[in-house]
Amino acid sequence: MKDGLRKAGRFLRHETLRLISIGCIILFAILPLLTLAFHVSAKDWQYIFSDGSFKDAVRNSLLYTGAAAVITTVLALIAAYLLNTSSLKHKKLFVILLTLGMLVPTISVGLGLRILFGTKGFIDLLFGVTIEVRGFAGLIMGSVMTSFPATFLILYDALQYEDKGPYDAAEIIGLKRLSTFFRLTVPYLRVALISAFFACFTLIFSDYGMPMEIAGKVKTLPMYLYDQFMSSFQYGRGSIAGFVLLIPAIISFGFDLIFRDYSTGEKQQKLIAAEQRFNRLTAVCLILLCLILFLPQAAFISLSFAKAFPNDLSFTFAHIGNIFSNTHGVGLSAYIRNSLLLALLTALAGTCFAYMLGYMSVRKEGKAAKAVDLFALSTIAIPGLVLGIGYIFLFSGTNGKFYGTILILVVVNIFHFLGSPYLLAKNCLSKINSEYEVIGETLGISRGRIIAKVLIPGSVTTLVEMFSYFFLNSMITISAVAFLCSYDNQPLSILITTYEKNSNYEMQSVISLIILFLNIAARGIFSAATAALNKRGNREIEGGIGLERNEFDFLTYLEKHGRGMYSQRKLADDLTITLPNASKLVREMAGRDYINELADGSIEISEKGLKALEPYRVRKAIILAAGFGQRLAPVTLNTPKPLVKVNGVRILDTLLDALTAKGITNITIVRGYKKEQFDALLEKYPTLHFIDNPEFNLANNISSAVHAIDLIDRCYICEADLYITNPDIINKYEYRSNYLGAKVAETDDWCFRKRNGYAADYRMGGTDCYQAFGISYWNGEDSEQLKADLKKVYAQRGGKENLWEMVPLRLARKNYRLEIRKCHKADIIEIDNFIELIAADPSYAKYPGYEEYSGK
Amino acid sequence: MEQPAVIIRCENINKKFRSKTVLEDISFEIMRGEFLSLLGPSGCGKTTILRMLIGIEKPSSGRIIKDGVDITEMPPKERNIGIVFQNYSLFPNMDVYHNISYALSAKKLEKDEIDSKVRRIVEMVGLEEHIYKKPRQLSGGQQQRVAIARTLVLNPDVILFDEPMSALDAEIKVVLREQLKEIQKKLKITMVYVTHDQEEAFALSDRIMVLNDLRIAQLDTPQNLYHRPADPFVKRFVVDHLDRKVRSIEESIR
Repeated sequence: MKDGLRKAGRFLRHETLRLISIGCIILFAILPLLTLAFHVSAKDWQYIFSDGSFKDAVRNSLLYTGAAAVITTVLALIAAYLLNTSSLKHKKLFVILLTLGMLVPTISVGLGLRILFGTKGFIDLLFGVTIEVRGFAGLIMGSVMTSFPATFLILYDALQYEDKGPYDAAEIIGLKRLSTFFRLTVPYLRVALISAFFACFTLIFSDYGMPMEIAGKVKTLPMYLYDQFMSSFQYGRGSIAGFVLLIPAIISFGFDLIFRDYSTGEKQQKLIAAEQRFNRLTAVCLILLCLILFLPQAAFISLSFAKAFPNDLSFTFAHIGNIFSNTHGVGLSAYIRNSLLLALLTALAGTCFAYMLGYMSVRKEGKAAKAVDLFALSTIAIPGLVLGIGYIFLFSGTNGKFYGTILILVVVNIFHFLGSPYLLAKNCLSKINSEYEVIGETLGISRGRIIAKVLIPGSVTTLVEMFSYFFLNSMITISAVAFLCSYDNQPLSILITTYEKNSNYEMQSVISLIILFLNIAARGIFSAATAALNKRGNREIEGGIGLERNEFDFLTYLEKHGRGMYSQRKLADDLTITLPNASKLVREMAGRDYINELADGSIEISEKGLKALEPYRVRKAIILAAGFGQRLAPVTLNTPKPLVKVNGVRILDTLLDALTAKGITNITIVRGYKKEQFDALLEKYPTLHFIDNPEFNLANNISSAVHAIDLIDRCYICEADLYITNPDIINKYEYRSNYLGAKVAETDDWCFRKRNGYAADYRMGGTDCYQAFGISYWNGEDSEQLKADLKKVYAQRGGKENLWEMVPLRLARKNYRLEIRKCHKADIIEIDNFIELIAADPSYAKYPGYEEYSGK
Repeated sequence: MEQPAVIIRCENINKKFRSKTVLEDISFEIMRGEFLSLLGPSGCGKTTILRMLIGIEKPSSGRIIKDGVDITEMPPKERNIGIVFQNYSLFPNMDVYHNISYALSAKKLEKDEIDSKVRRIVEMVGLEEHIYKKPRQLSGGQQQRVAIARTLVLNPDVILFDEPMSALDAEIKVVLREQLKEIQKKLKITMVYVTHDQEEAFALSDRIMVLNDLRIAQLDTPQNLYHRPADPFVKRFVVDHLDRKVRSIEESIR
C-alpha cells in the first residue's frame, strides 16, 4: 500500500509537466466539447429530429461538401502531381501562388465570388451575363477555392517523399506517363489521398465564413448552429448541431491516427533530369489554376479601388484612405492593432506550447508520452465553431478576468490551431539525435541547457514555420473567435461579418485587402527570417567565424600584396567597392584586429586575420589526368596529353607551377592512360601523389573523380590539359565553391550561364555565356554533397558515361550553388585538337603522321 | 597507495522490462585500465548492461559497485563514467572547442581553467587544427576523437562505447580501431566496448564478455575464447565465425 503510494508520488513528480500539459489540453480543448452535452435536453433531441430545417441543413451541408471535396481533391492531386514531376524552374513560386488563398478569411472568398457573379457584379458589367451563384453552385465553387490550398499541400508534401526509383524503372520498361500516374502515383498516395479528402471535407463542412456570403437561401449546418446560438438562443439545439459538425472531423482524425504516418522521411530528389517535354503544358495548366483561384481576391482588390461599385468603377484611393479615418465608431486602425496583437500573442505562446508538447511526446521516455501525443493530435478534430461555443459555456463565469479579454481569444486560437504546429515540432524533434539528453546527463549538463543550447538551435526553421502557421491562421479565423470577442478586442476578420450583415461591399473588400496585405507581408518576413537563418547556418559551416565576402576579398588582397601603403581610393578601385565602403572596411577590420595599422600609415594582415582566412584556404588539388586525349593523336599515341610539351613545357607543368606558387602542395593526380609516364613528374614535383584509374578507357572521367572521391574536401578539381598562361587564376583562398569561366560572345565549347548568381545551363556551345574551364573549387559542405552525388550517379545505369562535372552542373544542380569565378579567355589556352596545338606551338606542324590524322 | 585492480563489480544483476527478462543473475568485474568488450548477438542485453553502468537504466535487482561504493542508485553525472554513442552525438551547432568545453562551463568553472583543460585534451587527441570546426566539417575519425575528448575532459574513470563503429565502412573501421587502441594505450583508461562484431572485439580487447540467452556465456581473454570456448554457443558464435572469415579470405587470395 505504502509502496504503491510512493510509486504514484514518484510518477506524479516525474510527469508533472506532462500531466499539466495534458490537463491544459483537456481544460481548453476537450472539456469545452463535453459541456455542450450538458445543455442538451431530451426536448431538444425531440425537436431537432422533427425539425425540417435541421434536416435540410444537414442534407445541404453533406451535399455541397461532398461534391466540393471530391473536386478539390482531384484538382489538388493533379496540381501536386504536375508540379512535382515537372522540371519547372520556379516551383516554390507556384506553391506560393497556389496557396495564396490561405492568407485571406474564407468569408473574403465568398465575398469575391459574390462581387464577381452577382447582379451588377464584375462579370455582369463586363459581359452582360448574370450567373446566379448564390446557392449550391456558389457554395461548391467557394468551397473548392477555400479548401484547395490545404489539400494541395498535403498531397504535394506526400509526393515529395515518394521514392523516385520506380519511375526510373517505369521509364526503362517504357511505361507511358499517364500509366505511371495511375499505377505508381495513385497507389502510393492512397493513404495521403484519403487523408487529404477527409481533411478537405472537414474544412468545408465546418466552414462558416464563406457560406455566409454565398449560400443564399441554402442553409448549411454551421449557419443553423450559429442561428440557434446567436438568434434563437436555443443552446441545446445548437449543441446537437455542434456534435453533428464534429462527426466528419472525428472520422478524419480516426483515419489519420490509424493509417497516416505522420513522421516524414527524407525528401527524395530526382537526380535524372525530369522530362522537359510536358513543361509548357504543365506551366499553362498551373498558371490557369492560379488565376482561377485568384479570381475572388482579384474581385475584392478591384472593388477596394473602385469609386462606387457597381455604378462608377473609376479608380480611387478613397476607400483605402478611409481606413484610418473614423468608421464604425473606432478607426480601422484599432482593429488592425487587435488583429496583429492577437496573432502575435497566439503565435508566440502557441509556438512555445506546441514545441513543449512535441518535446514531451518524443524526447522523454515515460508512460505519459503517448498520452501527450494523443491529446495534442486530438485537437485537430475540433472545429473552431464548436470550440467557440464550448468556451462560452465553460468560461462565461470568468467574465472580465478571462472571458471577454484578449486572453481567451489567444487561448482558443492556440488550441484550435495546435495540431499542425505540434506535428511540425514533433517531427523536427524526433529527427534530432535522441542521445543528447543522455550525453547531457553523463556530462552533468541539465536537460534545460540541452534544450536551450542544442535542440532549439537545431529547430529554428521549424519554429519559424510554427510561428507562421499560428500567426497567419489567427489573422484569418472567424469561427471560434466570433463567439468570444468583445467590442474592444474584435479583430479585422470578425469585422467583415459585421459589414456582411448590411451588405457593405466596399468595407468588406477593404478589410479583406488589409488582411491579405498584412499576411503577405508577414509571410515575406517569415521567409526572409528562414532564409537569413539558413544563411547564417551555412556561413557557420563554411568558416567557424565566417567572413563577409568583402572582408574576405580585402584580407586575401592584403595577404597577396603584403604590407604596404594602400590609399582608400586604391582599395576601392582594386576591390571594386565604393570609397565609403572601403574606409568602413579598413576601420572594421582594424577594429577586429584582422589587420595591423603601422606607424608609417601602411597596413598589413595580422596573425588573427590570417587565422580568419584559414577556413577558406584551399587544402589540395585533384587533377584528373587519366584520359587518352584522342583529338591530339598522333602526339598522344606515345605521350598522355597532360605531358605533351608545348613550347618546351609540359602542359601539366603550367598547372602544377601555378598551384605550388600558391602554396598548394597537396596535389593528387588521377592517372590511367600511360600512367607510368607520370612518374617523371616526381623529379620536379617530389610531393605529388598518384591514384590509378584502371577504368579510364571504359568509363568517362567521372570514374577518375570517383577514384579520388575520398580526397574531395576543400580542394580544386582540375582537368589536366589546361595550358595556363596566367598563374593568378589559382588562388590561395576561395570564398565559396566555384567553377572557372570566361565571358564569351560565342563558343562551341562547354559553357554555362549565370542564373541567380550561380552557374546554370551547362551545355555544349552557346552565345553570350561563360566558357567553362575545367578548374573548380569545392568547399567543405559542397565536397560532402559532391561525394554523395558522384557515388549516386556512378552507380546508376549508364552513370559511368558521364563527365564528372555533369553531376554538379546538371544532374544534381539543385544541390549546389556554384559561383562562376571569372577569368579571361587568354588566361588559359585550350588545346583540344591538333590545329590548336600547332597554333600554340608551330613546331608541331612537322609532327610525323599529323596529316594522316587530321585527314589532310 | 596501490589502487585495487577491480574498478567496477556487478553483483547478481537481474533486469526485467515489464514481464520480459533481459538479464538473469549476471555478475562480473571490470579491471582498472583494461579494454573490455561486451560481445553478443543483437538483443542479448549488452546495451542494457551499458545503460545500467552509465545509470540511465536501473537493474531490477542486484548491485553495481564502483571503487567500493554502491552506485546502483546514483544518478549518471555523479558516477564519473563517460559514454560515446554509435553516432557520437556531438552537438551539431557547436564547434569542437565548445563541444568539449560545454560540460565544464555547465559546472561553472573559471574561464581560464576551462580553456587550459580543453586545450590539453584537444592536444591529447590530436585535434588542434580542427578546434573551431563544426562536427559536420569533420571526418568520422575526427568526430570519434571529439566524442572521446568530450568525455575525457571530465576525467572519467571509465569510458563506455555503444557500438561506435557499426554504421561505418569497413575500411574506416580499421583506422578508427587503431586510433581507439592508441588512445587507450596512451591514457591507460578503462574502456568498455559494446559490439556485435567478433572481429572488432578481438582486434581491440584485453578481455571479451560473450553474452547469450540472458547470461554471460564466457568472460575471458581473446586467446582463451578462441582456444577454449566454454560452450557450443561460444564456439559457434566466435570460433567458427572467425574461422569462416579467415578461410574465405584465404580462398580468395590463394
